[in-house]
Amino acid sequence: MELMGKKDVAEPGYREKVRRTKSWSAIDLKETYSPGDADEDNYKKNIGDPGQYPFTRGIYPNMYRGKLWTRRQPWGFGTPEDTNKQMKYLISHGNTGLMVFRDQPTMHGLDSDHPLARGEVGVSGVPLVSMDDMEDLFDDIPLDEISSTLLCASVVSPVILAQYIAVAKKRGISMSKLRGTISNDPIMSHVCYSDVANPPKLGVKIWGDLVEYCGENMPLWHAAYVSSCYNMRDYGLDAPEEVAFGLKIAATFIDGCLERGMDIDNVARRMSFYCAAGIDIFEEVAKYRAMRRMWAKMLKEKYGAKDKGSLQFKFAVQCAGHSLIPQQPLNNIARTSFETLAAVLGGAQSIFTTTFVEPVCLPTKDAQRTSLAIQGIVAHETGAAAVADPLGGSYYVEQLTNAVEEKATGIMEQIDKLGGFISALEGGWVQKVIDEGNQRYQKEIENGDRLIVGLNYMSIPPEEDTVLPGGVLEIPPGTEERQIERVKRLKANRNINLVKASLKELTQGVAMGENENLMPYILRAVESKSTVEEIMGTIRTTLGMSWDPWGYRNSPFV
Amino acid sequence: MSKRIKAVISKLGLDSHERGAKLVASALKDAGMEVVYLGSFQIPENVVKTAIQEDADIIGLSCHSGEHLTLVPILFEIMKEKGLKNIPVIIGGVIPKENVEELKRLGISGVFTYGTTMDQVVEFVENICSK
Repeated sequence: MELMGKKDVAEPGYREKVRRTKSWSAIDLKETYSPGDADEDNYKKNIGDPGQYPFTRGIYPNMYRGKLWTRRQPWGFGTPEDTNKQMKYLISHGNTGLMVFRDQPTMHGLDSDHPLARGEVGVSGVPLVSMDDMEDLFDDIPLDEISSTLLCASVVSPVILAQYIAVAKKRGISMSKLRGTISNDPIMSHVCYSDVANPPKLGVKIWGDLVEYCGENMPLWHAAYVSSCYNMRDYGLDAPEEVAFGLKIAATFIDGCLERGMDIDNVARRMSFYCAAGIDIFEEVAKYRAMRRMWAKMLKEKYGAKDKGSLQFKFAVQCAGHSLIPQQPLNNIARTSFETLAAVLGGAQSIFTTTFVEPVCLPTKDAQRTSLAIQGIVAHETGAAAVADPLGGSYYVEQLTNAVEEKATGIMEQIDKLGGFISALEGGWVQKVIDEGNQRYQKEIENGDRLIVGLNYMSIPPEEDTVLPGGVLEIPPGTEERQIERVKRLKANRNINLVKASLKELTQGVAMGENENLMPYILRAVESKSTVEEIMGTIRTTLGMSWDPWGYRNSPFV
Repeated sequence: MSKRIKAVISKLGLDSHERGAKLVASALKDAGMEVVYLGSFQIPENVVKTAIQEDADIIGLSCHSGEHLTLVPILFEIMKEKGLKNIPVIIGGVIPKENVEELKRLGISGVFTYGTTMDQVVEFVENICSK
């Protein structure tokens, strides 16, 4: 981004040639690919038909003829009521699943009236302080029909899931009917959100609690959602690194569950991944194909999983935020269209097409609708969804799939040598790889090895740049005041004895040690109208930490 | 030679997009200034307190999630309360063009959004602090 105002590094011109002859992740490419590159002899063993082990070509035989991917544009803005209206708007415009963004205070386990919450309540997500907020958020939305992805930092995820379950119970819907995903990736939360709010040990414990609880009570729920892939990719990884980090992080969580004595198929069957779709179409397709094959082989060969569902790599995709730029923002519509296409050609189960305004402001209505339209166009106009794994058998794509797998395997071996992912993280290696990736990306833009339209190629003076159609999203005035008022009212009107009793039980549950599942305690606390900060603060203080991660506030009960 | 310029660089609120703030902090250091880097998870009170304690010449803020319009007025109010009126405050990050005038009206001396070079930030800080 530092380049704007400087001269383009390359000029468009007559008889212009392709400049970059390697993939976006620096895999060297030949001029052309031929029979022999595609590894046809090993088709059955290494590639297989769609729906067949090792699932390189997709996890279902008929792919989108059976069911299209879920169109899952996220929302979370203003109060729960505001967000409810907008989610209904998205559903009426073609969203087929919901994804809820929580605001920053909720994500860090703080109530809306916390001093650090000022200016952040309802800004980049919706506040979910108590089950009342969740109730209003899902007002008039059928919880037994829709599938919902609830996004939060992992250590706070059990509270958010408990709020969702509590609302369903209140409506007479059994939690066994609930369909969706809870974000649950403590390593991502630690690296990308906040290290102090997401201590790895608590994170891994909670990961196991969620997987165990949902495994026993919520057969349709995905409780093991590895979102490191997308998030760390966006922080600086390339495609093979995304594969390697994602699989190694997943393996770390699996190992933790096995240590607790859980069955591999109970753990792996409901695991899913959140991957990025970058701009290099073929490399991204190769990446998804490689990841499916590597996952299936890892689960079968290393972990001895037997259930077909455990071997099927299920993934949601978000178009990579880092590929979008604020200059000439309409061009981002083209970028996210190619990325959405790559996700479909790669066999994604669910897609979030990042809005074109992403680098400029929070998503506007127009931008959201455009994203849904892109998915509709790819689904019904381009023909890309009609055939399973349409690029399978392409000499190039098969070879690139092998190349991504080979690179990723090398990185995974390196992580093993460092003593596993947690050791690699604690030793600073993970951050180093991310930082180096970032710097390399920036350098390649500066030296012209990577051309990005509007940034270092075909740029225009800022004063001539496009004004965003649909304007900039403004926070509705008074949102924060209304929400704080709401939280104060809740705290004043609830039965405080019930709250205290449920938190006392939670304290006892935490004190019982790592193998005691906290979900039932958290659910009771939520149903007693305890807030997210009260529950997190109780867990933290019982474990000897401060009430909130930054020590701004103490327990109100002592 | 005149006194070294001392800058307090901080993010405001809970957003953790720290890349920009870190880049600016290291650019100012490279230009010979003294930088007190507060990083993420700061409330306006802390930023003002640090600026007073450190006798800073300038405050640099970084916002990425739309919190600038709420937290900047609070910061200025606290500065006024604490008698810290004479040092400039600059801001960078994801700030829509549409908000720039409002921020300046509130008292922000410089708004740096995408496309800003580090040289431009350094030059601006040197100029405004030598006034």
